Amino acid sequence: MSVGQSSDDDAAWFDTAPCGLMRTTETGVFSSVNATFCAWVGRPREELVGQMRLQDLLTAGGRIFHHTHWHPLLQMQGSISEVKLDFVHRDGSTIPMVLNAVRRQRSGVVVSDLAAYVARDRDKYERELVLSRKRLEASVAEAERLQVESKDRALLAEQMIGIVSHDLRNPLSAISMGTALLGAGELSPSQKPTVARINRAAERANRLIADLLDFTQARVGTGLSVTKSAIDLHRSVADAVDELAHIYPSHAIRHERSGEGACCADVNRLAQLVGNLVSNAVAHGAPARPVTVSSVVTEHAFEVAVHNEGVPIPPEAQPTIFEAMTRGANAPTAARSVGLGLFIVKEIAKAHGGRVEVSSGPEQGTTFRAFFPRLGQ
Amino acid sequence: MSLQHRNNVHVTGSGDATLFFAHGFGCDQNMWRLMAPKYQARYRTVLFDLVGSGRSDLSAYDPKKYASLDGYAADVVELVREFAKGPAVFVGHSVSAMIGMLANIAEPRLFSAQIMIGPSPCYINDDGYVGGFSRADIESLLETLDSNYLGWSSSMAPAIMGAPEQPELSVELTNSFCRTDPEIAKQFARVTFLSDVRAQLPRLTAPTLIVQCHDDLIAPITVGEYLLRVLPRSTLKVVQNVGHCPHLSAPSASSEAIDAFLAKEGL
Repeated sequence: MSVGQSSDDDAAWFDTAPCGLMRTTETGVFSSVNATFCAWVGRPREELVGQMRLQDLLTAGGRIFHHTHWHPLLQMQGSISEVKLDFVHRDGSTIPMVLNAVRRQRSGVVVSDLAAYVARDRDKYERELVLSRKRLEASVAEAERLQVESKDRALLAEQMIGIVSHDLRNPLSAISMGTALLGAGELSPSQKPTVARINRAAERANRLIADLLDFTQARVGTGLSVTKSAIDLHRSVADAVDELAHIYPSHAIRHERSGEGACCADVNRLAQLVGNLVSNAVAHGAPARPVTVSSVVTEHAFEVAVHNEGVPIPPEAQPTIFEAMTRGANAPTAARSVGLGLFIVKEIAKAHGGRVEVSSGPEQGTTFRAFFPRLGQ
Repeated sequence: MSLQHRNNVHVTGSGDATLFFAHGFGCDQNMWRLMAPKYQARYRTVLFDLVGSGRSDLSAYDPKKYASLDGYAADVVELVREFAKGPAVFVGHSVSAMIGMLANIAEPRLFSAQIMIGPSPCYINDDGYVGGFSRADIESLLETLDSNYLGWSSSMAPAIMGAPEQPELSVELTNSFCRTDPEIAKQFARVTFLSDVRAQLPRLTAPTLIVQCHDDLIAPITVGEYLLRVLPRSTLKVVQNVGHCPHLSAPSASSEAIDAFLAKEGL
């Protein structure tokens, strides 16, 4: 034995060390092994020394690894540490071991000294880690797949809304034209209100379709389209309020103006915004109390606000109130819509480079405000 | 992206012909440290890392492209086009011997000769053909790679213990030698050891030297003899060496075989 021959104590220490100790020739043939290693691999010393090579004790994968990694690493670096390889016991079972090795010159001959320890628990733990990493990767991939799938589905649904709304316009315009023709002719007193009702219903349906089309354009397309031009804000808002006064004859709609100056906006979109806000105020505000529309021009911005009195919007509902499909909880059934009005208000402001906000409380009532930058910034 | 950066190309030496040295599965171009310098006085020598190995640009690793040896062969064609001056001789170790062959078949005019160190066209035994391995053996290799992943950075770039007398590599190089992204290493192992290019062998028209180790687990001598039979213009030279890396453990014997072949081919 080449190690520990100085005394019996040293020899015993080498043999019973709490790790496997081996020396091999350059080609891997064992020249010395301790009893610990012999016991671990279930082979007597005579069967190993001068007879077997380190790589002969490895699994097939370990042997390839030995050839492609271990050997070049040891030769190039002179040492290698913490490599984990499975050894095959004489009885065929495998024993995972972690190895360190140093390559040395001994009297002109190259030898490798190795230390090994059995790492069953570490092996088990590492396998679990590898397994859970694989599971994690699989579930992340699954989550990503589902996300893509639901996105596709949502997009399809929104495109569908767009197509259907568009196609509904033709039959509706036929209905409107029909009622217009009927209205122009002789009608009996009982027929008149019926024709008027059909007319109003067709108009409502038309507005609904316009909202749906705006919604799909904002969500699926490139955003709401606006055509900005120089406008007189107060006059544009006054015109819109006048029209609304005809639609809601039972409500007082006031218009307050403040400030002066040139503004730039899409006048039709602005009227749509005022219309959506006022129809909400009429539907949700205190009955028989006035609705106030204000148009304000300041140095760098202009704003349009609509105020009503009545039951405030619950604070928890306020942050999401501008999202699509959000409906007022206390709205009377007749005034119910699909919940696109405020979403479109927000999109109109956004398309102008502006923003919206809401404030609501029992004392001050409810105010929706849309802010716009001036001069088409 | 430059090929130089992608494949970590190093050009040295000068001469009338260009030798390309390609490493195999496992490590990188430093595998040629003991042999390539012998040729720098007589040849222009080009060393490079396969994409995914060594210090190649890992961002260039496309799992689809490198799902077969053809992806690597396409790179070799580009490298030879860009870096060869005069006749090009491709020296490929292990799997790179087959990558060189595929590149040669694709662009025969680019290559003057092929030198294969420990080549194997198919590692898995198949109906009368002895490659040396079963499919289960390859699965076992993937598991071994897997179980060294967790400590990959430490086991593949170990602290030098004690004072080894003659480490061939500087400490700085030990940080990349044999280390790569674990997922890439696994795919490369699969692509390498499950490859079967036997059907292509008869199409290689360039003169070919097969350097075969007398005791090599990965490319047994039966495989070298098979190649000699099937490759149209091949010479077999058996080198006394245990293991798969004669350019590392028997550099002199390996370069003697190469020198004799180059002289015979007038290169």
